[in-house]
Amino acid sequence: MVSTDNNNSPAHRGSDAQVVGPFYKSAWVTALIGAIFSIVILTLIVANYVQGSVREARLKKRLEAMKIELTANPADEQALADRIRLCDLEFRRSRLPRPNFTRTGAFLLLGSLAVFVLGIKWAHTIKKKMPIPQSEQAGVAEQGRQASLARWSIAAGLALAALVALVLVLIPKVDFSVTDAADASYPTREEIYRNWHRFRGPEGAGVTADANIPTDWDGKSGRGILWKTKVPVMGNNSPIVWGDRVFVSGGDANHLNVFCFDADSGDLLWTGDVRRTLPKSKDEEFKVMEDTGYAASTMATDGKRVYAIFITGDLGCFDFSGRNLWTKSLGIPDNTYGYASSLEVFRNLVIVQYDQGDAESGKSRLFAFDGFSGRAVWQAKRPVANSWSSPIVAQTETGIQIIAAADPNVMAFDPNTGAEIWRAECLAGDIAASPIYTKGLTFVVEPYSKIAAIRTDGKGDVTKTHIAWSVDEPGPDICTPVTDGKFLFVLTSDGLEMCFDAADGKKLWEAELKEDFFASPSLVGENLYLLTEKGVMIIAEAMPRHKELARCELGEKCHASPAFANGRIYIRGVENLYCIGLK
Amino acid sequence: MRRFAHTIIATAVLLNLCAAASAELLFPPPEFESDYVMPNTTTPHPHQDVYEYVDVAVLFIALSLASYLVLKRRSRRATFVLMVSSLIYFGFWRKGCVCPIGAIQNVTLSVFDNTYAVPIAVLLFFLLPLVFTLFFGRVFCAAVCPLGAIQDIVLVRPLSVPYWFASGLRLIAYLYLALAVLFAATGSAFLICRYDPFVAFFRFSGNVSILIIGVCFLLVGLFVGRPYCRFFCPYGVILRQLSRFSKWRVTITPDECIQCRLCEDSCPFGAIRSPAVEWPAVEYAKAKRRIAFLIILLPVLIALCGWAGSRIENVTSRMHSTVRLAERIYLEEAGEFTDTTDPGTAFRATGETIESLYQRASVIRNKFILGGWLLGAFMGFVIAVKLAAVSVWRKRADYEADRAGCIACGRCFKYCPQEHLRLSKIKEGVR
Repeated sequence: MVSTDNNNSPAHRGSDAQVVGPFYKSAWVTALIGAIFSIVILTLIVANYVQGSVREARLKKRLEAMKIELTANPADEQALADRIRLCDLEFRRSRLPRPNFTRTGAFLLLGSLAVFVLGIKWAHTIKKKMPIPQSEQAGVAEQGRQASLARWSIAAGLALAALVALVLVLIPKVDFSVTDAADASYPTREEIYRNWHRFRGPEGAGVTADANIPTDWDGKSGRGILWKTKVPVMGNNSPIVWGDRVFVSGGDANHLNVFCFDADSGDLLWTGDVRRTLPKSKDEEFKVMEDTGYAASTMATDGKRVYAIFITGDLGCFDFSGRNLWTKSLGIPDNTYGYASSLEVFRNLVIVQYDQGDAESGKSRLFAFDGFSGRAVWQAKRPVANSWSSPIVAQTETGIQIIAAADPNVMAFDPNTGAEIWRAECLAGDIAASPIYTKGLTFVVEPYSKIAAIRTDGKGDVTKTHIAWSVDEPGPDICTPVTDGKFLFVLTSDGLEMCFDAADGKKLWEAELKEDFFASPSLVGENLYLLTEKGVMIIAEAMPRHKELARCELGEKCHASPAFANGRIYIRGVENLYCIGLK
Repeated sequence: MRRFAHTIIATAVLLNLCAAASAELLFPPPEFESDYVMPNTTTPHPHQDVYEYVDVAVLFIALSLASYLVLKRRSRRATFVLMVSSLIYFGFWRKGCVCPIGAIQNVTLSVFDNTYAVPIAVLLFFLLPLVFTLFFGRVFCAAVCPLGAIQDIVLVRPLSVPYWFASGLRLIAYLYLALAVLFAATGSAFLICRYDPFVAFFRFSGNVSILIIGVCFLLVGLFVGRPYCRFFCPYGVILRQLSRFSKWRVTITPDECIQCRLCEDSCPFGAIRSPAVEWPAVEYAKAKRRIAFLIILLPVLIALCGWAGSRIENVTSRMHSTVRLAERIYLEEAGEFTDTTDPGTAFRATGETIESLYQRASVIRNKFILGGWLLGAFMGFVIAVKLAAVSVWRKRADYEADRAGCIACGRCFKYCPQEHLRLSKIKEGVR
């Protein structure tokens, strides 16, 4: 190593003479080895990173696919679980060594880079470039030129900053003050009427305006069946439809699930799990009636989120990609046959009719939860006994009302505040059929004994003032009636079909269908669609009397009401979900 | 033969290390496949306060030592050793944190947020280098800052960055400082820490993109002296201004300059100013008019840049997590996204209304509008002053270290024959 002090002395000015020590080449070789080693280590680290990332992405995908498969085929649970464990083990085997490898590599890289830099610095120290002053510059001119260029350089910086600022200004801004947040978060009335967003569609009326609903299909031969998909976990709730998605829920002792299907292909797009709240002690052991099942309540959607409630009182919310946004436990309901009321949505609120115990117990509530966060916006006490009917949002002439029926009160609430608007004490028994509304009248039924119409323009207790008519006829114990505004059609579970004048309750005709029904009747144009428990759809002319037009067999028992949307019918059998329509 | 032996030894040592690397793959750590007992979760003890004060003490000693070595001993070699020691301690041992550069943000946040108290150690880390700079010049940059040290070490073949180009590039550091203060003041982010290009090296881990930025800085640093310090470092901006007023500072020659010009290319940071002669009368008049124009331009630039700064709040405010969350939720609710994010899910779980979130986000945005005005005005002021500064003529008789730009590394000492004379006199005196 090296140069002497004299190397920098003025005596050497302008000279090219350079003193080269004996280790000059060794220094370069050291630097070279350091460089090669650094490249090797760097390549290994990068290769390890890339290889691991690719492999882990593949394994993760496989893992996710198997998890979906596990939900879809619970029968293969053991075999699939073993495969998942193996895949998970493989994933961990791939993942765990990587950080150690990278860390070791980083130390080696640091060391080799140090060798490289030291080698180069060593070489430069040995063969030092001597200072060679340039010829004198043209003093003022050069200094002036540098100053001028510096000004241009700073000006260029300013121009560049201005350009960047201009581009940034043009980036769209979310203006929170322009759009009312509430408007953005719930669907319009038109959107609701284009879809089937809750039990029995818009307003729970069971009426569709679609003109091209199929009238002919056969489940055995597959004629008219667009697709048929097995629902992984059973449930008695009805399908709901929004756009290209169909939703149903299912549940058993181990799972509370939400299933999303592609409306065009029937593919299961995702499965959502709702966390189940377990009883706090063995004393509260939870028993479920087989006929009701864990998932009797139909879901509801506002077009962005779907909501599902189960017999356990667990309420879940998912976005359309299947992500669980929130869950809520309302407590295990005190309900004789098991909770079965379906959900309703009003703007950003999800409405839950949670009737429990007897009328005096004070347990029954109507809840409104913010669909976005799950926060309870309001709750209204209801002096009613446990029921199985579902609330409706009715666009009455005096404003929007939430109407809910149970023993003994039919009640209307302000959907924004939960304040009670009116009540009519007119029902008794186990109320399962839901109220329906048309032209200022709400129709309610008392099983086996009464059918009534209540005017909705009242305030307070309207029992004596606003019951438009009431007839002592065998009201259905399960099925909700349907109306076209002029006539009210009622169907009992043992197949008695009746038609009343909606205005005065006068019975116009009745027909004995000799079939069992769980599904509520639907009105498609002027025809009634009546789905029997055996899965046969009876299509009948409604007026002037019952006239059967067609019978379409599904080949599978049905407990749920059909959904109508976009010219198709979606029917849930006890095992499969069907889509009936043209391709 | 001896050379060959050196090469063989170096290769053998490195290959041995290579084997250790491959062994990591061959023998991965044990898996959870059988009888694995999950260890109990333990919470590490909080870092003891005493270490913070040890760091402050080490910083103080390092700054004192650097001042002595640069100004009194005038030893580049000793300064270099101190610099490497600082890199090892503050960089690799203390993982690059706390550092005075990042402390700017803590101090700023404590000023604007009365719920945040800046730790005394952090405050001292911020203040000590400033105080030393006022007395001894940029000795912190010379031998204490680990970020400067890592760049200084890799500098192999320095190329000269033209004065005019460096003048433009330095604007980046001012902008970086302004943005860092804006984001810290609004409680949005500690920008300097988030984008510290070298911390990934110090910690042997980090974000890939930051690692790549760090590698780029080091690659450029092979040929351009301390690119981060000169053109990006926000703390450097403050040190530059303070060092203009420092009581003692580095001089190239220990005695009278003999105008030998041997030092003129010795500084890899372009911090040596050549002697300058008088302006010719014509140029002088022109320069006076230019200065007058720039003085008029000053308020215009401040106003225009301030206005531009306030208009970009739509982008700058997104650095704040609340604004990002509110925008994401807004778009989710508008149907632009069909999925959600973890912060979104967490927000929904709080039960807070969307309106309340939007209101909070709007308040933060308003802060960014005001902050944008101040940021822009500051940049307008800086640009106007820099334009004026390069237009003002300064007469110089000797070669001098630039008051602001000199980082006191001591490279130029040995290029001065007077220094050699001084050293030989000392040597003789010793004998």
